[in-house]
Amino acid sequence: MIPLRFSFCAQCLLLLLLLLTCSWISLFSWSVITVTPADALQALYNMDQDSIAQHIAHDLRLPRMLVGIMVGANLAAAGVIMQGLTQNPLASPSVLGINAGAALGMASVSTIAPWFGLLGSSIAAMIGGGIAWAFVMLLGSAWRGGNEHGRLVLAGVAISALCAALTKAVIIIAEDQAAGVLTWLAGSLSDARWQTFDALWPLCLVGLLGAMLIAPTLNLLQLGDDNARNLGVSLMWVKLGGSFLVLLLVGSAISSVGAIGFVGLLVPHMARMLAGQDHRKFLPIAMILGACLVVLSDTISRGIIYPAETPAGAILALIGAPFFIYLVRKRTL
Amino acid sequence: MSLSTHNLSVGYHDKAIVKQVDLNIPAGKIIALLGPNGCGKSTLLKAMARILSPMDGQVHWQGQNLHNIASKKLAQQLALLPQTQPIPEGIKVKDLVAYGRSPYTGFWGRINKEDHEIIAQVMQETGITELAEQLVSELSGGQRQRVWLAMTLAQDTPYLLLDEPTTYMDLSHQVELMHLLRKLNLQGKTIITVLHDINQAARYCDHLIVMKQGKIITQGAPDSVLTQQLLKEVFSLDAQIHQDPIAQTPMCVVE
Repeated sequence: MIPLRFSFCAQCLLLLLLLLTCSWISLFSWSVITVTPADALQALYNMDQDSIAQHIAHDLRLPRMLVGIMVGANLAAAGVIMQGLTQNPLASPSVLGINAGAALGMASVSTIAPWFGLLGSSIAAMIGGGIAWAFVMLLGSAWRGGNEHGRLVLAGVAISALCAALTKAVIIIAEDQAAGVLTWLAGSLSDARWQTFDALWPLCLVGLLGAMLIAPTLNLLQLGDDNARNLGVSLMWVKLGGSFLVLLLVGSAISSVGAIGFVGLLVPHMARMLAGQDHRKFLPIAMILGACLVVLSDTISRGIIYPAETPAGAILALIGAPFFIYLVRKRTL
Repeated sequence: MSLSTHNLSVGYHDKAIVKQVDLNIPAGKIIALLGPNGCGKSTLLKAMARILSPMDGQVHWQGQNLHNIASKKLAQQLALLPQTQPIPEGIKVKDLVAYGRSPYTGFWGRINKEDHEIIAQVMQETGITELAEQLVSELSGGQRQRVWLAMTLAQDTPYLLLDEPTTYMDLSHQVELMHLLRKLNLQGKTIITVLHDINQAARYCDHLIVMKQGKIITQGAPDSVLTQQLLKEVFSLDAQIHQDPIAQTPMCVVE
């Protein structure tokens, strides 16, 4: 715990500034056709229709950046809710099998019934993630109380492995779709366009607002199930509602950009270090941090083997895996 | 106001620990639940606080089945201090006590002036005002127990259910706690507490309920309940009953 001596508002403002800077950089950096920082700004408020550079910034980079922000905030919020519900520091969409389940649902629909479109795959991702989450909670007996930390994570690993194997089988069966599904499995924002943005923002808004609303209740869950109940929390409704929010947040994010991992695990812990244990404070911090992290990784992913693109999910895994190991070593599970 | 159980059976994993208990909690008194380990005192307390659901029978609060009362409303009537508490990480003492106000707080957990006054008062009553800025995880067992007690008191309920509240406390804090309970009782609260120290129970409580193997053996005022025969029957103890020279309450001395 390293509580930095900044007030909560100052932290939020600083992080928002950081997010703005990252977003602005992502608009003009590493483009085959040169986009200047000034082009990037002008494309936002007064676009010159004849400038190709500004078209790139407005039609390709801007939606990509906005989707990155939403996906980052979604996954971070989902991680916070999952850690709050299970009282498990390792809980996150990727560790507890939701990512893999959503990927399986998504891959099945896009290979077997590709005519379903984006909304169809969102729903498929949510259903797949939901089934995986339910299995993990049942196997890890998480409904009975938060003490079986190791068991819950083991269940998540097992279900993830099963889903990954099934996803591979689906890809082998429908070979012609394989390349697209594989990029998507790694998690990349390269295909994010305005239509992705249009499909994502309503779900994102509802999910993030819902997350903010249950933040005070998550505070009480920290005191253990008995105390939470005693303080007037209806555990069943909170767990059901929280799970639904997680599926909404993760499902919409994953169907837009693919199975991006580690944001949900990494960011809540970073946010706690900054803002302490009050969910009303560290949840918004986590959302902004998550957005920064995804936008930044996406920018790096374009430059790392320029002009080709690396999936942003791979960059995040590079940062996230060592942190995961650090967490496992530091905590007694 | 009344709290009662009707043919109540409750336990864990299909095994009943409390068996067919009919009990009326006398309002406005300090009641001690006594009995050997594993006799079902904590289980009964948890069922009365709706932490555990009955396998059979019911708990009634003011004539209404406990399970039909909204969670938040119930939390304004009954507060439970569980026997074993978790050690929350990174939470300050004052914040933990403030969580006791949750059943009353408005939108998004906002705390108003009245809440702040109650929080300050219970922290003073439990002697933890100086610990306010410390982390709960860095306190000693006895200090932490007082912090949890403060949170329970901050709930400001007419009924208090305490499961071994004196655990981890040194003798002077135990006595302070019993005096505090008396004071709260005078303010009109009904207090039901599990105690291990029979003499403490006899001295500070108005009503004793003695349990063995999930059943209630006897109940009543300390004078009438505490007998040599009862101690033998319930605790398998050979003991004598004397009179406390100061409080004139019964006192047991083991042979």
